[in-house]
Amino acid sequence: MLAEHWGLLILLFLPLAAGIVVAWLGPTRGSAIRLISVATSIVVLALALGMAFRFMALERPRGADARLAPAAPSFRPEFVPGASPSNPHQTTWHVLSLGPGTVQFYLGLDGLNLWLIVLTAVLMLPSVLISWNHISERVNEFYAWLMILQTCMFGIFLAFDIIIFYVFFELSLVPLFFLIGIWGGPERRHAARKFFMYTLAGSLLTFLGVMGIVLACHQQTGTMTFSIPRLVELVHGQLMLEDEATRAYWQTAQFWVFLALTAGFAVKVPLVPFHTWLPLAHVEAPTAGSVDLAGVLLKVGAYGFLRLAIPLAPDVSLALGLPMVTLLATAGIVYGALCAYSQDDVKKMIAYSSVSHLGLCMLGMFSLTMAGLSGSIMQMINHGLSTGALFLLIGMLYDRYHTRKISSFSGMATRMPLFAVLLVFICLSSVGMPGLNGFIGEYLCLAGIFSHEWTREGKPYLAIVACTGVVLGAWYLFTMLKRVLFGPVQEPDTHSPTGDLNGRELALIAPIAALCLLIGVHPQPILRTTEPDVRVVSDIAAAARQRATLPVGVATNQKLETRN
Amino acid sequence: MFEDPRILWFIPGLPLLASVVTAFLGPRLLRDKSHWPCVLAVIASCALAIGVFASVSSGFQGLHTSYTWFQTGDVDIGVSLRVDGLTAVMLVTVTFIGSWIAIYSIGYMHGDPGYPRYFAEISLFVFAMTGLVLADNFVLLYAFWEGVGLCSYLLVGYYFAKPSAAAAARKAFLVTRLGDVGLLIGILLIYTALGPSLDYESVMPRGQHASPGVLCAVCLLLFTGAVGKSAQFPLHVWLPDAMEGPSPVSALIHAATMVTAGVYLVARCTPLFGFSPSAQLVVACIGGFTAFLAALIALTQTDLKRVLAYSTISQLGYMFLALGSGTSHEYLAGIAVAAAIFHLFTHAFFKALLFLAAGSVMHAMGGVIDMRRIGGLRKVMPTTHWTFLCGAGALSGFPIIFSGFWSKDEILAVAFKAGQPGSFANSIYILLFLLGLVTAGLTAFYTFRAYFLTFWGPERVPPEAGHHAHESPPVMLVPLMVLAAGAVFAGILLGPTGIFEHFLEVHWMQAAFPRLLPATEHHGNLPLMVASSLFALGGIGLAWWLYVRRPALAREMAQALPGAYELSKNKFYLDEIFAALVVRPLAGLAHFLRVFDQYIVDSFVDLTAHAPRWLGHLLRPVQNGLVQFYALLMVLGLAGFLLSVLMR
Repeated sequence: MLAEHWGLLILLFLPLAAGIVVAWLGPTRGSAIRLISVATSIVVLALALGMAFRFMALERPRGADARLAPAAPSFRPEFVPGASPSNPHQTTWHVLSLGPGTVQFYLGLDGLNLWLIVLTAVLMLPSVLISWNHISERVNEFYAWLMILQTCMFGIFLAFDIIIFYVFFELSLVPLFFLIGIWGGPERRHAARKFFMYTLAGSLLTFLGVMGIVLACHQQTGTMTFSIPRLVELVHGQLMLEDEATRAYWQTAQFWVFLALTAGFAVKVPLVPFHTWLPLAHVEAPTAGSVDLAGVLLKVGAYGFLRLAIPLAPDVSLALGLPMVTLLATAGIVYGALCAYSQDDVKKMIAYSSVSHLGLCMLGMFSLTMAGLSGSIMQMINHGLSTGALFLLIGMLYDRYHTRKISSFSGMATRMPLFAVLLVFICLSSVGMPGLNGFIGEYLCLAGIFSHEWTREGKPYLAIVACTGVVLGAWYLFTMLKRVLFGPVQEPDTHSPTGDLNGRELALIAPIAALCLLIGVHPQPILRTTEPDVRVVSDIAAAARQRATLPVGVATNQKLETRN
Repeated sequence: MFEDPRILWFIPGLPLLASVVTAFLGPRLLRDKSHWPCVLAVIASCALAIGVFASVSSGFQGLHTSYTWFQTGDVDIGVSLRVDGLTAVMLVTVTFIGSWIAIYSIGYMHGDPGYPRYFAEISLFVFAMTGLVLADNFVLLYAFWEGVGLCSYLLVGYYFAKPSAAAAARKAFLVTRLGDVGLLIGILLIYTALGPSLDYESVMPRGQHASPGVLCAVCLLLFTGAVGKSAQFPLHVWLPDAMEGPSPVSALIHAATMVTAGVYLVARCTPLFGFSPSAQLVVACIGGFTAFLAALIALTQTDLKRVLAYSTISQLGYMFLALGSGTSHEYLAGIAVAAAIFHLFTHAFFKALLFLAAGSVMHAMGGVIDMRRIGGLRKVMPTTHWTFLCGAGALSGFPIIFSGFWSKDEILAVAFKAGQPGSFANSIYILLFLLGLVTAGLTAFYTFRAYFLTFWGPERVPPEAGHHAHESPPVMLVPLMVLAAGAVFAGILLGPTGIFEHFLEVHWMQAAFPRLLPATEHHGNLPLMVASSLFALGGIGLAWWLYVRRPALAREMAQALPGAYELSKNKFYLDEIFAALVVRPLAGLAHFLRVFDQYIVDSFVDLTAHAPRWLGHLLRPVQNGLVQFYALLMVLGLAGFLLSVLMR
């Protein structure tokens, strides 16, 4: 098991080390810098895939066994660096003592983060390769920031200590701020500042939530801990108590914790109406920045909900979060799709399509059912792949013509057939064509919200509205395809050399397309590995549902009955 | 040999393999031999389908699950194929017609720059359609359903450099997807209301125990999907435009692989529809109305392929009329479904034939298909002429000889039975029956109008034809002849003998919905046959009178009724109505939201961001740097403080 522990650490710090080396090389040694970056990406990818295979081979308790276990449902990370032999899911590495508690360097893999790690690693190589010729100024800094961004993203997903999580969460803003601000488009400074300030404003409130939950646990249980699994366990234990005063306390505490956590995560997702930083940031960002922003960083918000907001404030997630988030998410699906339709800049269109897709992801997640929660994870992965690939393809088009205006293109399928095939393919993945990845997430999310609404109220209005996203998504993407790819050839006036995709471009996009197909045909490995941990969240939510529907005394009896 | 259910995998599998091989090897390696994988694979799967059909008729019901597609919580979707009587009939139809279309395409598409792409997409189309009829659960069906939609998108937009083709492809995809949303919601409703499992086997029996409201909603939602894919009113608008693709593609879409999917879906779900008479009434009304409306539009179209396209919509309407009529007596459902599937079967032959013959005309005329510019071709293209005549005879329901007569007659008989006194909504069904009878007359008229305009009268060949104005090569003519034979004999062999109904009943219905089966044998209705024959012959006679005997009369009639003529010619302005009611408002809303997002929502954000600065502006005058002012403030503050202390 030791190898895996080191694997996680290498995964986290190798990009950072590479970033430092690259920065130190200076701006003139472009080819060495690129080689180091590519090599790092390949190693990281191999490492991430290796970890995924090791993880899949693990014998983890399936859902049914986890419920039999006497302990409260909580996350059980594997491959924890610095774990004691007696408890492999808990680390012993201390970073800093804060009063009675200790911040630990607590990393690990579980079903919720495993595939996001793999996604991050998968998107790393193309984002390095796509910048090959595109970035010529301050090359060393560019790749350094790109590498550091990878470390931050790995850190966010790997962290099982709430402080470590938050540190990486905030740190990730810095590299992207520079990536957009230095190598972006004409309005890069405005975009970078807006992106930074907007998300920072949200995440400062998140920090209040983080501290709030730690202090609330400390006050009620006397235990000061920053470990996410331990916090989840404590909160769950507290919520199961029948004492009137405790219940009242936790109602209030959960309310504020949920609101504070949501403030940061909702901006990150982004939920409508907190999304306006996104189109701007995407349009101005260099292609690699867009890929990482859409592919991975947007998932941080959704992941935060899944890892922190729902498990740490289940009652309020159910009572307040569910109606609020599902409403905003449904609005986002339709609103994002309609806004996407009317954009002339392809990148802006994709940015709005992200609003729509992540709306569906949030909708599935807040159905708080197994299907919906797994669907939201699938949707995160799928959106990362297909939107990342869309940005890459549009980046290739931009490299050739230096414009992204839909209205300035026509008939590109005649000029660049390979590009056209790939663009159509990725668009199909994005609109949820069965057999490709998008469908799985879409179907599961919709099934989740549908069954939730049907069993609660018998009127699945929001689910039906969300289903229209299926046709709206096809509407804007296929209209774009018609305008850009088909019809008589019309090119923007440029004198740059044009031609179909070259080997490098094909090599960076083909694996993503292959993954889209693979996940679409055989998603079960992903669903199987995520299931135990998704079940933890759904069990916590199910307990909250039970508390919400039954008066105080009855819940106790029921609990006793199930235990007998 | 065909008793092993694993054999089922090869039926869709071979065309898929051919598609992949052609897609990767075609452009570089196969080039003008790219048709081989497709043709061989489709013929092989046709042979397998016939073998499977034979084993089904000896009692074999195969089911094979290969693997779990996705499973989490109570969602559990397997990739599993099943064959029963209905599937076997569909498989044979699809692969048989598909084979001949593929062979025909060798000649038709010869020399086209996209030759490999064409055959890769054709194989994929056959893969998707055979998968659709073999699928054993609703989600897998939906997957192939979307796959069929994708293939139609790719093939309709085959000549993508042509703006009209690109527009038609997008329209086909989006309009059918609109229906698919209904299907998706229907599937989700089945998942929540009729049990988490979506396998046919576990869903179908639950239909009769579900609450009527839910069941009706499920049926109507599933039917929405069928309306989109099978081009029924109001979602039929994509089909006439879809002939922007090459002619064999139209044949494939109209006969074998696309529009029949909706009919198949509703037929497959008879155990659900059979217990929801109100849903069936909706199906019948939409079907009957569509049949009539499309026939009216077809009367005045001048594009030969467009006439055929509207005739497809009309004939599909007949099928839905039949599917929706199995309501009044419990036992009618079996006969009704059998009639619909029988018409699907015969229609596949004669419609594929008509489109391929039209393609042959188009091939010879240098791409011109406007009937105002061609004429008198019966001497130029004799084989095309007589095969087209066979198809036209079948489509118009020419009595006794042609297949269309038998299948259409059964549909009318079912509708007539549903309208008998004392049954559910009988007056509506009688109305639908009369509408069907009138439509039969209209069908005969417009079919033979097209036939006479194209093949009779003075010989007219457009200049685009150049020196090509001659009969097509044998590779195109042989498929025409085979399909013509089918169009003629399929009816007389299977219609009066009742073999077809019997097969479906024994090998599908008895297992799927025993409660809905006929208690008594079904007999032909002689007066009805005579009536429909009269309508058909009347239509043909009128067409002959107007377009051969007195060609000027048709024009005079059009001028005499300008309003009606324009209405029909412009397809009742449905495209325009669609644009005005749906597309433009939605696009307008989208544009409004773009502006709203940019200037209202984002401005709020900027406003919030400016708040600290304004606050600073507000407080800045206080820090004016004058010592006297500070001293004054200090004194005032002190006074205020003291006052508050003293007053307490």
